Amino acid sequence: MSIDPGSQPAISRRHFLDFAQAGISGTALMSLLADDRPATGSGTSPHTAPRARRVIHVVATGGFSQVDSFDYKPQLARLHGTPLKSDEKPDVFFGQVGLLRQSDWPFRQRGDGGLWISELFPHLAGVADELTVIKSMVAETSNHTPATFQENTGFRLNGFPVLGSWLSYGLGSASRNLPTHVVIPDPRGLPAGGSINWTNGFLPSEHQGVPLRARGTPLDDLFPTRPISPTTERDSRQLLALLNRQHLEQRGGDDALLGRIRSYQLAARMQLAVPEVTALDSETRATQQLYGLGREPTADFGRACLLARRLLQQGVRFVQLFSGGAFGRPRHNWDGHEDMVKNHGREAARVDQPLAALLTDLRRTGLLDDTLVLFTSEFGRTPFAQSSAGVLGTGRDHNQYGFSVWMAGGGLKGGSSYGSTDVYGWKAAENITTWHDFHATILHLLGIDHEELTFYHNGIERRLTNVHGEVIDAILS
Amino acid sequence: MRHMPRSLVAIAVLLLASPAVAEDGADSWWSLRPLSATPPPVHPTPSPHANPVDAFVSARLGTAGLTASPTASRRALARRLSFDLLGLPPDPSTVDQFVNDSRPGAWIRLVDRLLAHPHYGERWARHWLDIVRYGESQGFERDKIRPDAWRYRDWVAGAFNSDMPYSRFVSWQLAGDVLHPGNPRAVIATGFLVAGSYDEVGNSQQSQAMKRIVRQDELEDIVSVVGQAFLGLTIHCARCHDHKFDPIPQREYYRMAAALDGVRHGLRDLAPPLPETSRLPASSLHARRLRLQQQLALLERPARHQILKTRRTPRSGTKPPSPFARWDFDNGARDSIGQLHGTLRGDSRVDDGRLILPRRGFVTTPPIPRTLGARTLEAWVRLDDTRQRGGGLVALQAVDGPAHDAIAFGELEAGRWNLASENRNRTVSFEGPEERGADKEFVHLAFVFAADGSVRAFRNGQAYGRAIRTRGPIVFPAGQARLVIGLRHPPTLRARHLRGEVDRVQLHLRALTATEVLASAGPLATAVSEQEFQASLSTSEQKRRSHLKFEIAHLSQLATRWNTWKSYAVSPRPPGVTHVLARGDPKSPGLAVSAGGVSAVPGAPVDFRVPADAPDPPRRIALAKWITNPRNPLFSRVIVNRVWLHHFGAGLVETPSDFGINGGLPSHPRLLDWLANQLVDHDWSLKHIHRLILTSTTYQQASRFRQAAAAQDADNRLIWRQLPRRLEAEALRDSLLAISGSLNHEIGGPGFYDFTTFTNNSQFYDVGDPIGTTFARRSVYRTVIRSGRNRFLDAFDCPDPSTKTPRRAVTTTPLQALSLLNSNFVLRMADRLSARVRRETDNTLPARIRLAFRLCFARPPTATEAETSLSFAKRHGLPALARVLFNSNEFLYVD
Repeated sequence: MSIDPGSQPAISRRHFLDFAQAGISGTALMSLLADDRPATGSGTSPHTAPRARRVIHVVATGGFSQVDSFDYKPQLARLHGTPLKSDEKPDVFFGQVGLLRQSDWPFRQRGDGGLWISELFPHLAGVADELTVIKSMVAETSNHTPATFQENTGFRLNGFPVLGSWLSYGLGSASRNLPTHVVIPDPRGLPAGGSINWTNGFLPSEHQGVPLRARGTPLDDLFPTRPISPTTERDSRQLLALLNRQHLEQRGGDDALLGRIRSYQLAARMQLAVPEVTALDSETRATQQLYGLGREPTADFGRACLLARRLLQQGVRFVQLFSGGAFGRPRHNWDGHEDMVKNHGREAARVDQPLAALLTDLRRTGLLDDTLVLFTSEFGRTPFAQSSAGVLGTGRDHNQYGFSVWMAGGGLKGGSSYGSTDVYGWKAAENITTWHDFHATILHLLGIDHEELTFYHNGIERRLTNVHGEVIDAILS
Repeated sequence: MRHMPRSLVAIAVLLLASPAVAEDGADSWWSLRPLSATPPPVHPTPSPHANPVDAFVSARLGTAGLTASPTASRRALARRLSFDLLGLPPDPSTVDQFVNDSRPGAWIRLVDRLLAHPHYGERWARHWLDIVRYGESQGFERDKIRPDAWRYRDWVAGAFNSDMPYSRFVSWQLAGDVLHPGNPRAVIATGFLVAGSYDEVGNSQQSQAMKRIVRQDELEDIVSVVGQAFLGLTIHCARCHDHKFDPIPQREYYRMAAALDGVRHGLRDLAPPLPETSRLPASSLHARRLRLQQQLALLERPARHQILKTRRTPRSGTKPPSPFARWDFDNGARDSIGQLHGTLRGDSRVDDGRLILPRRGFVTTPPIPRTLGARTLEAWVRLDDTRQRGGGLVALQAVDGPAHDAIAFGELEAGRWNLASENRNRTVSFEGPEERGADKEFVHLAFVFAADGSVRAFRNGQAYGRAIRTRGPIVFPAGQARLVIGLRHPPTLRARHLRGEVDRVQLHLRALTATEVLASAGPLATAVSEQEFQASLSTSEQKRRSHLKFEIAHLSQLATRWNTWKSYAVSPRPPGVTHVLARGDPKSPGLAVSAGGVSAVPGAPVDFRVPADAPDPPRRIALAKWITNPRNPLFSRVIVNRVWLHHFGAGLVETPSDFGINGGLPSHPRLLDWLANQLVDHDWSLKHIHRLILTSTTYQQASRFRQAAAAQDADNRLIWRQLPRRLEAEALRDSLLAISGSLNHEIGGPGFYDFTTFTNNSQFYDVGDPIGTTFARRSVYRTVIRSGRNRFLDAFDCPDPSTKTPRRAVTTTPLQALSLLNSNFVLRMADRLSARVRRETDNTLPARIRLAFRLCFARPPTATEAETSLSFAKRHGLPALARVLFNSNEFLYVD
């Protein structure tokens, strides 16, 4: 059997099976196959017609406040400074229940849809008709990290694959030369748990998120850590190809070995593609200004958003952006225990304009038609202050019982909201929505039946949605 | 969309024809039946080399009309065996010896030699650690490190090396501490139960309801690892409802949970200390540290000399200001200028011109006979560590009353210098940088109190953070204040004491200027700051220096961990009464249950006969007995299948931790049972099972792909060849170290850190590529941090340490290619291999190339390869050739 890696022979059905036997998953093969096809193809045939093909997921770490942003509660303003009247003592993380506290930002109705959005997000308010807000989210815990795990994996525990890994596994790669699942951490620091937040869990490691930086060296080990001359590089590749070819022939042409030869060609293409896609300077001045590049406080997140859009254009399936890092001091996230005005004011100012720019830009390039943009937080915040009883403190505690997330893009009813909380904005009251429902809906929009996307692990056909989850039909267009 | 490759239809039919597979119902599911005592079939083509394993395999191949592959070459066998048993490539002399050993029994001699090698235990410990979700940090939000978790890893490796009977190996992991409370090794073994994540934040939150859920999650983790590791059963699937596939009612999940309810995470004291853990005596670490310190001093000397020279002639020409009082500890705690002689208190002492503050030491002076308004406090200090919080360095303290102004470390903010005062009246953050040097060398601190109430801090003559404004100057009238060294303010609470050494303290009765502070610090301090070194060393010197410093610091940390007689293990608490929880919800308790097993498993009675409110020991002892019962067929089947898996790349059952209905069927059920019986009958010796497998001709088959055989059995379930196997991540890293002559072969002990770490509420890990012998150890000694994964190992499918991974995925990705082509580590190993072949051969390039091939591939180059490589190496150098060899399929795959 003679193999010329340069000629890229079509892979037959038998080869496909051999790949699987050698332990290489089907999608890894698909990413090799995709290599021979236009960059629009997807790895597997979808269960239903997809409304979206790619996702940008913005994770606001720390717990972002619904009552100060999207969940307008006029009653809360009237009750400002009075104690919560409830049959049960609120079971909150730090155990302190202060007086009810109104939003620090005034609300107005925005866009044709009349969504209520507060002054915390003036730019996002300008694209209100793109947003679909779910106001009745609930989480199973008010402890940051298990809640963040659940937000991303459906489970409260370490070790389960994140949404991006499931999509990489389920949809395969649409890019000829970039990773399928990319993560852009907040440059101020990694979220607590670091790489656990983009783990492949028990899925093969090719589905792990690849962290890219929006500034400085984008990807580690993309190029040799010390200079190697182009001639040496070229001759090295040739010698390597020669050794591998002989080795392959002597071993009867095992496909695992052939796959590895191919991976070097992909790597070479990645070396061309990554510098190109991360060259944000090649964007027009107007675009750079739109995203707020080159000025504080929007530069960091603006770069991340612009890079995300460029990655999508190159066929990356899933880009996750972190707004906020870990829970130390100073806090670089939305965890406004002490002072909401200072905390949320600072964090929102970093992301508001870039997010609005991203939606505007995706809309004008047509990408938003089949792209999903998600903005979520592991839980919300309490409508009462985090202070001693009878005191009107300036911060708010974690709230797992009711909070808001928003989505935008293909297949969604823009300018609308779904579900509601009680009069205080404390507990979800109507159309209670779990993370499993949220995940099921995302998969549905991507053409995947959440009950069908499974992976066998230690005795269980695992799902992103565990044994729960219902698609939220009401928000679909 | 099932990942695990399922058998083709033809093979499935073959499997179903097997008598060990049930036709009906779950009661007689194959894995729950007692072991069958079928003897090996008569070998169809008897051969002197075949053993009973071959008889089983040949019979199945014969039925399918397939034949085994011929025996692999001796070179291939030597390489395969070395990786299988040791996880390392064979050295060329071992290969030659085996290839040239014409006496009968050459193979079994090699097998026995490698089975007796201490690297065997390390290799197989790694497989076990995968199954038991072993990590050395808590996971979740805080992810705090567990510096004493390594003893469990060493215990596992030691158990494999000594061929500890498997039943004891398991009993100890479940109940060692209660079976043998006086045996520290048995206590360490229970590290198994708590090797998983621990939610510190969840366990300390205010909400009791949420805490109960956290505890239930913890128990699920423990029940699940017990069920999967030893029984191949997913018992934890019955937490919320009866198991969907296997005959495990929800009640029985809670009976298992009851058996384990006393298990809590914690640190156990080990007494008496283990004699054998001194195998690598701390003195050798000390010796290495001294050697490195000498290298460091040598490297720093010219720069230090240069820097100190410029300091002696300060440009401004300012003389150091004269203090009002000075304590230089050359003569006890006397004031060397005036009469404010100090008194040593607590456990403080003066030694070699320094005040030593071990734990609760301090010095007080008589009342100061002058009014204290504007003033300056100075001190030269070295801290024992920078994690300490709240200790006072120098304080002015009212003679009666709480008023004080102190230079304190880590009081307001961890790791930083602060001004401490009563009720924090004048305490404001300087917003200075984190202290990174004072635990290694002396630093000079000066706090300048101006008349306007502002306070400025200086470190080694440099402004420390910003000036702060206090509510006004605190003025101590004459005779109303004394100076205190080493204590923030009385009384002597532990948290107020500084731990370290003080070289000198000075008090000035005025606010010094910045220039004066610099002058005061400059000529006296021998400390050269990091910035100064960086400014005067070349880039490569700086790099070398930072690697040396990292390793030196690491060695002292290792010595401490060696001598800490603790282990992260089960720290039992009295269990409560367990209730069945409807839908797994702690708010809906149902029937109370006592500890018990799973009734579907034959063997011992499932009722442990302990009351529902029994203490912890009888519960876990009964559980261990029930699991390790010789008549429990799952117990022996599961482990022999795991051994098989790591010799063939696939188990006889493809789902090693799931022998339930959702798992795979055995390809050779009788062989599996025969091996299981062999294990039971040979005192649970795993080395016996290795020998049976390794001496079979089945194991020794060539790995060449055969189209015709593949057409019939593409999965190789009938084992018509050996599967070519890619090196696991750890074996790859270890091989690169070994081949390049860099591997540090030390066995056991606390693991190395390939990261720097800091704590800011959560613990953070910055994973790097540290250089030095201390870090060139096998990857099993890498400290496994859940949030600090190693990029290189990850790329090659090193699993998330929080998942239980009975069989690793093998992927092929472009990121792997980039790692092997470009990472610092691989390029450095290429240089080292090049240096090694220069060192170990005569002065000809062909000889060097030949050795490089033998090291990487266990074979010399062919004539063509030798020729091509020679012309390549002439043009591009040997390191470039080494890089190509490291990237080749032949290196990465084992035939």
